[in-house]
Amino acid sequence: MDRLRRALFWFIVSLTALFLLLPTLIIVPMSFTTTTTLEFPPVGFTLDWYGKVIGAADWQSALINSLVVAIAAAALATVVGTAAALALHAHRFPGKAVVMGLLLSPMVTPVIVLAVGMYMVFSGWGLVATRLGLVLAHTVLAIPFVVVSVLASAGMVNPSLVPASLGLGASRWFTFRRVTLPLIMPGVLSGAVFAFITSWDEVVIALFLADAQTRTVPIMIWNQVRTNLDPATAAVAAILILLSALGVFLSYKFRDARS
Amino acid sequence: MNVSAQDGGAPASARAPWSLPVPSAFWLIAPAVLFLALFFVFPLLKLVAISLPGGSLEYYEQIFTTPVFLRVIGETFRVSLIVTFVTIAVAYPYAYAMAHGGRTVLLLLTVALLIPFWVSLLLRSFSWIVLLQNSGLINDFLIAMGLIEKPVRLIRTPFGVMIGMVHILLPYAVLPLYTVMKKIDLRLMEASSICGASWLKGFMRIYFPLSLPGVAASAILAFTLALGFYITPALLGSPRDMMIAQMIAGQFNEQLNFGLGAALAVVLMVLTAVAFGLFGAARAALQSRGRAKGGV
Repeated sequence: MDRLRRALFWFIVSLTALFLLLPTLIIVPMSFTTTTTLEFPPVGFTLDWYGKVIGAADWQSALINSLVVAIAAAALATVVGTAAALALHAHRFPGKAVVMGLLLSPMVTPVIVLAVGMYMVFSGWGLVATRLGLVLAHTVLAIPFVVVSVLASAGMVNPSLVPASLGLGASRWFTFRRVTLPLIMPGVLSGAVFAFITSWDEVVIALFLADAQTRTVPIMIWNQVRTNLDPATAAVAAILILLSALGVFLSYKFRDARS
Repeated sequence: MNVSAQDGGAPASARAPWSLPVPSAFWLIAPAVLFLALFFVFPLLKLVAISLPGGSLEYYEQIFTTPVFLRVIGETFRVSLIVTFVTIAVAYPYAYAMAHGGRTVLLLLTVALLIPFWVSLLLRSFSWIVLLQNSGLINDFLIAMGLIEKPVRLIRTPFGVMIGMVHILLPYAVLPLYTVMKKIDLRLMEASSICGASWLKGFMRIYFPLSLPGVAASAILAFTLALGFYITPALLGSPRDMMIAQMIAGQFNEQLNFGLGAALAVVLMVLTAVAFGLFGAARAALQSRGRAKGGV
């Protein structure tokens, strides 16, 4: 009875792990199929779908849009979010809980609500169908990730280091640059990577704010999935998975580098 | 003046080991708060304003008296509740294995849990379309097992939507469960078995109640996130089983009825906030009860 229960338990757990992994695992092999429909298991082997995607002008412009928007949004969110996180960590001030709630609330607001709200406001400001509009919208989504990440790394630093540096005669600015900043750097960088990925993968807001000129890679994928499913989509997906994996790897590297 | 500045300064720097070369927290916080006020809070307030033209509640009246809107809201609740329940049921044994299965198991299960995070929601829904289509792997497998004779329609059904949603919510549900479970002392279960209780009785009377704060936390997250799902139901579901997020998008994209769309968005926002608040209160209550019991 006991052994039967254990066997059943591990069977269920393994099945769950398979369920989690299956959709990710099938995408990459599907991109190599020689058929024109998406097949798993794939038939034959070809890199044509990659060639088709990399050579297409609309994918190229979408890729450039995605990169520009994601880099700008990550940079903006990192600067603004890091400053706010440092203040939250180091200072007590009235309304701190409210500020904290505000900084984190984009994470729990349904994206569709944000998308239509931003669409209404941004169209009045001439920001719809511009890259700037997308950057601002994605920065809103990314700020909470930077704040959480920087707060976590600030919390791990030995609090007596800064008074020590000040006591040895260093100026506050020097102390910030040479003591504080290097110590929280892993959190800042991993926050930046999360911010980048947030923008890079975002589709709902982009659907409302972008037009044919400013559309990003996720919008191209969305259109493809809605109209015709072909292996080119799987090739794009495989490229994106590779990039995200690289991003995640880098963010762990940054974290490990200091600890 | 000088004295008071020193009085104010000394404790502040003692309290704030991170003292920065800026006058106060204000200048660090201001950019973020200003940014979010302009591009986050203002759009939400704008939606509220659009939904109340001239202070009239007509759009809300329309939502709560028209069967089609009530059906969509009901459907959103139904799907979110089922998905939350299934997600927790699947996440529970998984988190248990992570918490009590040893280091190798923990490592393997964590990797399996985090790899889907590398892949965007959109791509995972795309992948489920391929898996669930008539010529897909799932149908092939069921036919090979002799369970069905010809392919069953799985996409464009509520079932397909639920599979996709559970897959996306699972990591969010497992992590809070794991955090609570790893603190539960398994010797309590041993003690109950020595005292003659069956495994099931010990589990129901000891382990499960201790894990309840984790269940509550996972349920908050899963349910709140589920309410606002847009991409997965749009790609895996049929228009007949629309959820509220799709209806909001439709009012802005197709019907061009901004007032009604805004009112629906406000309804979703309020439902999310209420769900978050309710579950949050439940969680706090459970935690304080847990602490009281721990003290006895």
